[in-house]
Amino acid sequence: MSSDHAAKTISIREMNKYYGNFHALKGLSLEVEAGEFLVLLGPSGCGKSTALRMIAGLESISSGELLIGDQDVTEVLPKYRDIAMVFQSYALYPHKTVAENIGFPLKMAKVPQAEMDEAVRAAAAQVELDGLLDRLPGQLSGGQRQRVALARAIIRRPAVFLMDEPLSNLDAKLRGNMRAELKHMQNELGITTIYVTHDQIEAMTLAHRVAIMKDGELQQLGTPKEVYSNPANLFVAGFMGSPPMNFVEGEISSGQFRAAGMSLPVTGFADNAAVTIGFRPEDCQVVEAGTGQVDASVYTFEMTGDQSLVTFEYEDRHLVVKMPKDFEIASESRAAIAFDPAEANFFDTASGRRLLPAA
Amino acid sequence: MSTRRPGLFEPRAIGQMAPATKILLYTILIVWAAFVLFPIYWLLITSVKTPAAVNQGPFFLPFIDFEPSLHAWKELFVIDYEDTLRAYMNSIIISLSATALSVLVGSMAAYALSRVDYAPNLITILYFVALLAGVGVAVGIYDVDWMLATAVAVALFFLLARAVGRIYEVRLGNGDILFWIISQRILAPIVVVVPIYMMFQSVRLLDTHLAIILTYAVVNLPIVVWLMYDFFNSIPRDLEESAQIDGATMIGTFREIILPLSRAGLAATTLLVMILSWNEYLLALFLSTTKAQTMPILVAAMNAGERGVLWWTMSVTIVVMIIPVVVLAVILQKYITKGLLVGAVKG
Ligand SMILES: Nc1ncnc2c1ncn2[C@@H]1O[C@H](COP(=O)(O)OP(=O)(O)O)[C@@H](O)[C@H]1O
Ligand SMILES: [Mg+2]
Repeated sequence: MSSDHAAKTISIREMNKYYGNFHALKGLSLEVEAGEFLVLLGPSGCGKSTALRMIAGLESISSGELLIGDQDVTEVLPKYRDIAMVFQSYALYPHKTVAENIGFPLKMAKVPQAEMDEAVRAAAAQVELDGLLDRLPGQLSGGQRQRVALARAIIRRPAVFLMDEPLSNLDAKLRGNMRAELKHMQNELGITTIYVTHDQIEAMTLAHRVAIMKDGELQQLGTPKEVYSNPANLFVAGFMGSPPMNFVEGEISSGQFRAAGMSLPVTGFADNAAVTIGFRPEDCQVVEAGTGQVDASVYTFEMTGDQSLVTFEYEDRHLVVKMPKDFEIASESRAAIAFDPAEANFFDTASGRRLLPAA
Repeated sequence: MSTRRPGLFEPRAIGQMAPATKILLYTILIVWAAFVLFPIYWLLITSVKTPAAVNQGPFFLPFIDFEPSLHAWKELFVIDYEDTLRAYMNSIIISLSATALSVLVGSMAAYALSRVDYAPNLITILYFVALLAGVGVAVGIYDVDWMLATAVAVALFFLLARAVGRIYEVRLGNGDILFWIISQRILAPIVVVVPIYMMFQSVRLLDTHLAIILTYAVVNLPIVVWLMYDFFNSIPRDLEESAQIDGATMIGTFREIILPLSRAGLAATTLLVMILSWNEYLLALFLSTTKAQTMPILVAAMNAGERGVLWWTMSVTIVVMIIPVVVLAVILQKYITKGLLVGAVKG
C-alpha cells in the first residue's frame, strides 16, 4: 500500500465550465482544508456533478485553476491526481469479483499479489464485507455494492475522496446507517473529502462546511450551522431545513414590517417597499387566534411520531409550524402563529439577498 | 371448493398454457422443425447414395430403402480432391480474414461512435465530395494527370475547408454517421458489383484472395458497426471513468473492462459475419474465376456439369461445407451469454 501521506488541500480558483454555449459552472472558487469534509449541495441540475467531475479530471476545465496540495492539476490526467471517486451508480466492474473490484486500483499500480490480498482483506474488513470477497457484484444487495465501491476508494489511501451522491440509491434506513459509517470513516482516515448531494439532511449531518449551489453558481459557503441560521439569500433559506422556512412578502416602513393581516416592529432596517420575511417552522408556536403575529386557518394537521406539523392557509400560500408531539388541533379551526421577530430573517424580495440590521 | 376438472381450453395454473393451446403450439413447432431439418437429412442420405440410388428414388431410409455407399465421398476426396481442397482452403482463408478485418475495424468504429461526440460540418463534407467529383471529371474527361489532380484537390481541401465550413453551419451528429454507415447495406451488393469488378480489374487483383477479402470486409462492416455500437452503448461510461481514476491506462481499460464486457457481442458478431462470408455467392462469382474460387461457387458449378447434376457429390460438398460453421457456432456460443452487466450500476 502507498505510504500514509498527509491529507491535502484543494484550491478551486474561478473554475468555469461551458458545454457549447451553456455555462454549466460559473466561476466557482473554493478552498478546501486538509482533512475537511466539504459537501456540495444543490438541486438537481445545478452543476454539482460537473464540478466534481472537473476536480476528478473526467471533465475538462474551460477556464480557471485547480490545485490539489500545492500541485496545479488543471490539466493533469485523473490517475495522476491522487484521488478516489465513488460514483452514484457505484460503477462496479460486473465481471470481477468483490475482491478483484476492491483490489483493482492496486492491480493497476502493479502492487505485488501478496501485498494486494492483504490490503483487500483490510479494506473489506473496514467496510464489513468479509466473507463476500468471492461474489460478483450482481449477487450483492444495494448496500453491499455501496460498501464495495467505498472499499475500492479507500484501498489506495488517496489524498482526496470524491463522492457523487453515493447514498442516493439506498433505501432510507440503510442511508441513515451508511451516513453515520461514512462520517466515522472519513474522520478516522482524515482524508480530504468532497461530497455531492441534493439532500440537505446529508449535508447537515456529514459536512464540516457546506457549499450551496444554484444554476452553476455558488450561493453560500459555511458550516451547516451558519448556512442554517444565517442564510445568505432566499434560495439558501428555502433549501435548508425540512420542512423549509416560511416566507411572507411585505414591506418595511418606519420600523414596521407589514403584510396582509400582519404587522410587527423591526429595528435597524431601512424602509423598503419589497421585503420578504422568513421564519422557520421550529421557531414558531401555534397560539389562540389574535394573540400571535398572524392569524390564519388550519389547512391540515399531521403527526410524524416525534413531532406535529400544523399547516396554515395564509393568503395564497401555506405556512408550517412544528409543534411538540402531543399537540393537537382540528383542521379548519382559526388560530395564530407566534414567533419572535428578532429570530426572523428579512430578505430583499427583488435581489433575494438577506437584509442585515444596521447594528 | 369446486372439484370440477378444468376444461381443455383452461390453463391449469397461472403462467401455464391451456392443453389445447399447448397441442396447437407443439404441432406448429414440429411441422416447422420438419421443414427446417428435412433438407439436412436429405443432404446427409444423398451423400451416401450411389448414382443409381438417386436416379431410381426417391428412397428415404438407408439400409432399408437402399444400400448406403461411400461412392460419392471417394469420388470427391480421392479422385477429384484437388478442386475441392482448393475451394475449401480458399473459403477458410477468405472468411477468416474478412471476418477478422471487418470485426476489428468495425468494432473500433462502433466504439468511437458510442464514446465520442462527433459534429462534422455538412458543408465541409459536401465540399470534400465536390472536390472528389472534380478529380474524377478532370482525370476522366480532360485527361489531367491523376497525381496532379489529386494533389490540387488535397491542397484545396486543406486550404479552404475551414473557410467553406463557415459559410453555413450545419452540424451532423453520431446518429447521422451511424445511419450513413448502415445505409450502405440498404443497396443490394449486386447493384455495385460491376464497378467493383472493374475496379479490381484495373488494379489486376481479380481472382485473388485479397480482392474477395477486401470486398467482404467492406460489405460486412456496416453490420459489425451496427451490432457493436449497441453493445458498447450498453456498457456504462462510469465503468471506464472509474477505471481511469483507479489508475488504468487506455489499453488497461480496454483489456480489463471493455473487452471482457463486450465478449458476448464480439462472439455473436463474429459468428454472423463469418457465416455471411462463408456462404456468400454473388460477389465471389464475379471476383473469382479459378484460383480464388470458394465453396459456394464450387457447389453451384456442379449444377452444370456435362454429366448432368451430380446430386451425390454435390451433397458431400455441402455436408463438408456446413461442418466448420457448426463447429464455430458451438465454440462461440458459450461466450454468447446474457446478463453480463448485472450489478454494474445501481441497487
Ligand atoms: N456533457 C454535457 N453536455 C451538455 N450539458 C451538460 C453535460 N453534462 C451536464 N450538462 C448540463 O449541465 C448542468 C449541470 O449538470 P450536473 O452537473 O450533472 O448537475 P447536478 O449533478 O447538480 O444534478 C445540467 O443542466 C446538465 O444538463
Ligand atoms: Mg449529479
